[in-house]
Amino acid sequence: MELKVLDQAETEAPKSGCSAGSCGSTDDQLSHLPEDIRQKVHNHPCYSEDAHHYFARMHVAVAPACNIQCHYCNRKYDCANESRPGVVSELLTPDQAVKKTMAVAANIPQMTVLGIAGPGDPLANPERTFATFRELSEKAPDIKLCVSTNGLALPDAVDELAKHNIDHVTITINCVDPEVGAKIYPWIFWNNRRIKGEKGAKILIEQQQKGLEMLVERGILVKVNSVMIPGINDQHLQEVSRIVKQKGAFLHNVMPLIAEAEHGTFYGVMGQRGPKASELQALQDACAGDMNMMRHCRQCRADAVGLLGEDRGSEFTMDKIEAMEIDYDAAMEKRAKVHAAIEEELAAKAAKSSATTVVPVEMLDGRSKPRPVLMAVATTGGGVINQHFGHATEFLVYEGSAEGARFIGHRKVADLYCSGNDTCGDGESVLGGIIRALEGCEAVLCSKIGYEPWEMLEEAGIQPNGEHAMEPIEDAVMAVYREMLEMGKLDAPLADEEAQATA
Amino acid sequence: MALEIVASCVNCWACEPLCPSQAIYEAKPHFLIDAKKCTECEGDFADTQCATICPIEGAILDAVGVALNPPGSLTGIPPARMAEAMAELQAH
Repeated sequence: MELKVLDQAETEAPKSGCSAGSCGSTDDQLSHLPEDIRQKVHNHPCYSEDAHHYFARMHVAVAPACNIQCHYCNRKYDCANESRPGVVSELLTPDQAVKKTMAVAANIPQMTVLGIAGPGDPLANPERTFATFRELSEKAPDIKLCVSTNGLALPDAVDELAKHNIDHVTITINCVDPEVGAKIYPWIFWNNRRIKGEKGAKILIEQQQKGLEMLVERGILVKVNSVMIPGINDQHLQEVSRIVKQKGAFLHNVMPLIAEAEHGTFYGVMGQRGPKASELQALQDACAGDMNMMRHCRQCRADAVGLLGEDRGSEFTMDKIEAMEIDYDAAMEKRAKVHAAIEEELAAKAAKSSATTVVPVEMLDGRSKPRPVLMAVATTGGGVINQHFGHATEFLVYEGSAEGARFIGHRKVADLYCSGNDTCGDGESVLGGIIRALEGCEAVLCSKIGYEPWEMLEEAGIQPNGEHAMEPIEDAVMAVYREMLEMGKLDAPLADEEAQATA
Repeated sequence: MALEIVASCVNCWACEPLCPSQAIYEAKPHFLIDAKKCTECEGDFADTQCATICPIEGAILDAVGVALNPPGSLTGIPPARMAEAMAELQAH
């Protein structure tokens, strides 16, 4: 691991330049992608923090079988990671899935993307998966199709994938080293045998890499998902990032391990912990010098419906869908109009947003470069600060620095601080949970905030700020950053950063 | 000689297409093996296919009723540790 020092030095450098997404519209990880790729993904809700407030996606659960075992997954309850938590997924036949997709497309015209993500591995269920894709590309050509896979069966499926309307494939790649792999995958099913340990992991890794290369050759976009497992693959994922970028993956999504004993997974039962928000961010930053990093994945379910972070699945159960009459030609016309209006709104917003809000050099006054600051933001979307602190179910985290504002990720809060009824007695403990979730943030920007949480946040070293309501997020973050700079708060590094730097 | 699928089956469909004798069929509340058709893969494969892909410990039994994938064999979780964790959860 000593060698990593050199790598870190290399990856530090681009952070101040454009390649780490710290110039222009830094909210958007897509801003520095080549134009042709951006065209393909700009209306994909999963690929842009901005787009996901406007466009919706859905998953259909047609693929129950799996060909490998992962230590973060319990097949009895579906998978806790990899976009498939939950026990209630209603398994659909391809016909039902097509019906459901068209019903959702007609009723939620913002829905642009249909994904198949499980609850097993879509490519371990090729008949069901491809029957769904085949029928949809015929009947609903205005819906983008995507699929996610563990990669084991990918090389055999590439030609079939290329035939349909599929321009994104997600491969979950947690390692490129069989020794690491053996600690994540206890077995794979391969050539009619169950193969355990390093031998199985080696085959899986080879298949993933081969599949990635074959997709890139055919011009199909590849996103790589990795589950960050502290002590298992956290160091290793930088190498994974470097290799998949080199082979042509366009985006890397490092997600935190979800492991609780009640999930009954190997990691959950054995007490393997997930990463802290600060550890996840540090790894994403370390990878970002080499790779476009995805920062706003909500790890949604295999049967999710709607905008990211919301689930309207219960409106579209099979019994409700059977009763719907769908005129898809009419729906397509309506959808085209809705999409055009959203594009217009997004374009207007992009034109309006201030080019950059970098700290002016004269303000630095010959002082050494001020340290960056993390800030939490309460927003319901639209790129502005427009949510009451007590109504936020999640906070976006931005980093303000001398280079500008950049989107870092999101932090979910378990319970609303204010649920609007008589449960305020629990407010204190709920607030404790929110403060823990905001670990590392020095300010929280919201439209409004009550007196009580204000005090407790301040005590915890997080400065509440309600002065920038309805302002664009990046502008507000940089305004607060400049204030902190003027007050001399940014000269000295934080105590724990100092400790880390000398460690 | 035939294998048997029991109640812990989660209906994941993984085994059904692998059976060389088409002995496995969808049923409620879980998949079943037609004992008259099952050959235990003899003459076709070295390993019984359904038990080899099945992700659930204890869901498939051999002809004398012994689990082909005993507790801990697929997840790697030692049965004692699993029992301990479940007891802890119950206590809460």
